[in-house]
Amino acid sequence: MVWEELEENLIFPSVKAKTSDEVLEILGGALIKKGYVKNSYIQALKEREVEFPTGLDINGIGIAIPHTSAEHVNNTATCIGILKNPVLFYEMGTDNPVQVRIVFMLAVTDPHAHIDQLKQIILIIQDRNILHSLLGSNNPKEIIQTIKRKEQVLVVTQERED
Amino acid sequence: MKKVIVACGGAVATSTVAANAIEELAKKNDIDINICQCRISEIQSNLDGAALIVPTSRVKRDYGVPLIPGTAFISGVGTDQLEEKILDVLRK
Repeated sequence: MVWEELEENLIFPSVKAKTSDEVLEILGGALIKKGYVKNSYIQALKEREVEFPTGLDINGIGIAIPHTSAEHVNNTATCIGILKNPVLFYEMGTDNPVQVRIVFMLAVTDPHAHIDQLKQIILIIQDRNILHSLLGSNNPKEIIQTIKRKEQVLVVTQERED
Repeated sequence: MKKVIVACGGAVATSTVAANAIEELAKKNDIDINICQCRISEIQSNLDGAALIVPTSRVKRDYGVPLIPGTAFISGVGTDQLEEKILDVLRK
């Protein structure tokens, strides 16, 4: 499953940034450093975020899921940042301002993998308890554990449905 | 058969999630639909015969076809109301 690929060094429990561009630079920079994406990735993210914002307001908790097209990506990865202070993004579909606390940055090569990755993230962000524990996490391990616990619950539920 | 255009910035990510949700919704309610998934910039060229447009990114233009933002399929906030609105249009 998607979360098997979560890497501790792509998870940042306390990102200090003042603007959405800074957030994209910090998290995108980590993906570049690890070779998951090309140098063009950050600029592409910024441009796309302006044209098609990715912020979401989940009952008062601001989330953003910045992503861009495969041409800027070498390998699939998910980078997670919990922002120390809320940063202004805009909402997907409405352009309303959203004060974002949690960022899931996607690097995708294969559109099908993209969908799985996005679906997993959607399941996470629609769970308020998970969002709260992510916000209270102090280290990457804790964040990975929280997400994997959720995934296990999902797998069990799916098996029961089958 | 109603044609529903589902669109987002890149035509792969959020629009697929919305398209799957709308397909299921129509099936549950015995409504025959045909989903056309495209980029926001391609809506105009796919308009022919469309009954409804559901974008997951911002759309500034009026295409003369009912348009319901589908962001709730991603956020999970307000999905029930969104589904009602979509059914209202599809049942017409």
